[in-house]
Amino acid sequence: MTALAAPPRPRRRSTDGRDAWLLVLPALLPVMLFSVYPLVYGVALGFTDARAGLNAETHFNGFDNYVELAGNGLFWDSFKIGLIWAFSVTILQFLASLGLALLLNLDLRLRWLARTLALIPWAMPPVIIAIMWQLMLNPNYGPVNRMMDAVGLPGSINWLGQASIALPVVIVVGVWAGMPQTTVTLLAGLQAVPAELNEAAAIDGAGTWHRFWHVTLPALRPIIMAITTLDLIWNFNSFALVFVLTAGGPGGTTMLPSLFAYNEAFRYGNFGYAAAMGNVMVVLIGAFLIFYLRGQMRRRMQ
Amino acid sequence: MTTMTRTSTVGRSPFARPLQYLALLAYMCFLAFPLLFLLTTAFKTPRELQSPDAGLLPESLNWSNFTAAIDKADLFTAAGNSLLVAVTTTAIVTAVALPAAYALVRFRTRMRAFATGWILLSQVFPFILIIIPLFLLLKNIGLVNTLLGLVLVYAVWSLPFSLWMLQGYVASIPVELEEASAVDGAGRLKTLAKIVLPLLAPGLVATSLFTFINSWNEFFFALVLIQSPDMQTLPLALARFVGAEGQVQLGQLAAAALLACIPSLVFFMLIQKRLTAGLLSGAVKG
Amino acid sequence: MAPFTTEREKPMRTRNSAVAALLALPLALTGCSAFGVGGDDSGDGVTLKFQSLAFQDTTIAATEEIVAAWNADNPDVQVDLVQGSWDNVHDQLVTQFQGGTAPDVIHDESADIMGFAEQGYLADLGPHLSDETTAAVSEDVWKSVTTSSGAVVAAPTLLQSYVVFANTDAFTDADVEVPTGETLTWDDFQALAAQLAEGDSYGVGWGLQQPTATVMNLSLGFDGTFFSGEGDATAIEVGDAELAVPERIHSMAYDDASLDPVSLTQSGSDVLPGFFDGRYAMYVGGNYIAQQIAESAPEGFNWAVLPPLAGTAGAAQAANPQTMSVAAESEHVEEAAAFIEFFMQADHQAALAQGDWLIPASSAARDAVAEQTAGENGWEAILASGEGLTAAPFQSAINYPQWKDQYATPALQQYLADEISLEQLQQQLTDGWAELS
Repeated sequence: MTALAAPPRPRRRSTDGRDAWLLVLPALLPVMLFSVYPLVYGVALGFTDARAGLNAETHFNGFDNYVELAGNGLFWDSFKIGLIWAFSVTILQFLASLGLALLLNLDLRLRWLARTLALIPWAMPPVIIAIMWQLMLNPNYGPVNRMMDAVGLPGSINWLGQASIALPVVIVVGVWAGMPQTTVTLLAGLQAVPAELNEAAAIDGAGTWHRFWHVTLPALRPIIMAITTLDLIWNFNSFALVFVLTAGGPGGTTMLPSLFAYNEAFRYGNFGYAAAMGNVMVVLIGAFLIFYLRGQMRRRMQ
Repeated sequence: MTTMTRTSTVGRSPFARPLQYLALLAYMCFLAFPLLFLLTTAFKTPRELQSPDAGLLPESLNWSNFTAAIDKADLFTAAGNSLLVAVTTTAIVTAVALPAAYALVRFRTRMRAFATGWILLSQVFPFILIIIPLFLLLKNIGLVNTLLGLVLVYAVWSLPFSLWMLQGYVASIPVELEEASAVDGAGRLKTLAKIVLPLLAPGLVATSLFTFINSWNEFFFALVLIQSPDMQTLPLALARFVGAEGQVQLGQLAAAALLACIPSLVFFMLIQKRLTAGLLSGAVKG
Repeated sequence: MAPFTTEREKPMRTRNSAVAALLALPLALTGCSAFGVGGDDSGDGVTLKFQSLAFQDTTIAATEEIVAAWNADNPDVQVDLVQGSWDNVHDQLVTQFQGGTAPDVIHDESADIMGFAEQGYLADLGPHLSDETTAAVSEDVWKSVTTSSGAVVAAPTLLQSYVVFANTDAFTDADVEVPTGETLTWDDFQALAAQLAEGDSYGVGWGLQQPTATVMNLSLGFDGTFFSGEGDATAIEVGDAELAVPERIHSMAYDDASLDPVSLTQSGSDVLPGFFDGRYAMYVGGNYIAQQIAESAPEGFNWAVLPPLAGTAGAAQAANPQTMSVAAESEHVEEAAAFIEFFMQADHQAALAQGDWLIPASSAARDAVAEQTAGENGWEAILASGEGLTAAPFQSAINYPQWKDQYATPALQQYLADEISLEQLQQQLTDGWAELS
């Protein structure tokens, strides 16, 4: 985790440090209380045999949970599905959102309307989104199949019920649901790209693509890095949408790891074991992120 | 003076404009079609909803779903609660995250590695597993069944995102701009107010939008924390229309969901201009 | 340490409330009352929190009426009605039990609460219920709310059964007689479906997206009990009796095409429009679907409920009653039990049953419903199907929920989608259980 930007020219170090603390402290205090405590609690739980039960006793059991987890084929299947889901959604979402953000940044007519409409998926709670898509994808009467039928495509596809296509379909819904936040983030990022850079390049006769590739994209890199990282984490952890859409079915093909851990904790009452799954997810995803962020930083430095 | 030139120079080919509109139209269809579906569903009678031959459009404008939904789920109270929670959360998060993000980027301290680590950890660990300890914490300080409890949880939950995104926006502002201003003799505070803040405005809007929406839509924690009907938030009210074994009061649900969308959409419409406003006032010649 | 219990947090309380006060300070300016802080229960009497899951408008109204009547009669014990929802009640209760903030009176269903009961979260109502209430409900149904140690943790209220709905016009058109009699055998059911299927339409539409509960329930009709033994020694047996129902459904979907295979991957409500449409002449679902049919079927749609499906062992199905329980940690168990006793009165149960189109567990209430509805709208057949409801071994098998989610549901989904064979189904069901014990 090194600097994302060069620090200002050296001023006096000690006051800098104090200023920094003053600025960060208001954020740190409530955070310590309300986020670190439950987090530490949750992580620690992963090393115990905690179970649901009135006055149930809990003991530390070291790495027992992890030994058991290593042999839990279902969990690793679900972990794999989680990776496919998280990467597909994040990448597709990023590409689609970047395109949309570029369009919305143009001086097109009715831009205000397009910008508002682009945020529609954001205006609904995930549960509603899932119920709505279920209806839209109904194999017999859903508007999606009806429209496909009307234009001569196969109109009786069982979108969510067929094991081979359920995951891709759920991924499309995931992209839909997550696009506004990525689009808005990138759109705001585009605003920070100094116009002068673009103008200078245009005056030099650089083409649209050239300018996009060599001016816009590099300037956008910190934002892109920040949002793709977070999107990846959120997607890996996403819960409500798939929970309502398929509840992990058909045949376990859409069982995301957060659904799996949720079942373990809330349905079977094995809090310790579920927390251990959470810890494994943190370690593996965390390792990947460090790798990714390091690489990005290095490219930036060049 | 400098702002509009950039956009207008993009795409000089005569086909570029129509193609751009076409692409935008495709996006809009993809993103907005479900809303249209919700809209038509909200006006259908239960009989129409169950009839497979019914067209996509309702036979007539039937408002009974709306009145029933408002009546049954007490939508106005719920909307008021949601608004209170979302606005307060957004205000707190923005006030706290903005200075912190600036500090994280512009000052090299050890805090930074710690903060980054915490931000990522707090987002990777499944939220669903944090809920119980968080619930216990709130219970012990007497905040169960209060909107304040919700505000605190949402603020803490959105803070990492806001910090993380804002530091990205701060990082993308060239340090040279600040230095130029400092050379001109402006103090740090003045530099912040005159240079950094305007450039940061779109990023601030984006992050506060996020915080607002996140608190507006959150369901699970509200479900376990809030018990009194008069303190329900909108997502809780909407859950009233979903029953056991996939039974849904579809028309009423669609009507309620639609009504619940409207404040967000109006808010979006008002605020979307601000996604460019910073640039207009903050154009600085280097 | 005892995670998730309140024990170890207690010493911190004073310090924590000081912190809370500190945090609340800036907000005090904006008006604490708006955030609900400081709103206190006032008054001297007992206040019970009752979380109801009533869903249909009529049932909500009936529940409110019952509570109002109680509150009028009992000024010292007021019941505070809170509306919950079926969809999330389990998660809500898990968290609230852990935090010690569960409602006093809890409305749920047997399949969901028995896990909580074994974990010690529910009070034993046995000593508090009157003989009259006890006698009105059959022994078998009581068994479905009794823990392994003999505690009665709930009063069973309403029951559902799986029934076959028939579009009688489609029967007339196909020149097929609508069956009558005590029961309908699976052979006859399949034969009927084959006769009614033609061209684009199928004999049966059956929403089996979540197949396990339905299969477990109906298998009792073949003496397919799946589990035997108790506690940790519970063993699984998946033999011919257990496989009879899935095999039959599979054969109807893929051998004689009398059942629409697509419907097997959908939820019950997804399939319903096809029943209204004439696409399916018969529809299998929970008896409560009658309410939706009565409310939203097209004008002039004629329908009936067929006699209960019977296997080689008769028309048995598992009883999974809705329940009224009291939290073990409630400070007013006795008062809460008294309210449940009041709630269980035959006329109250009859009103609720009609609102939800479910079968009252209490025989007195069943009689009342039969009289009030005069058996119209399928009520006669619906009430009759309630007679065969009994307790089943899977309801008390401790690892059942996990086995159901992780093994049974995926395996059955795959089998019903014709992706695995019957042998593989049998294998996966058996191995899955072995994996868990």
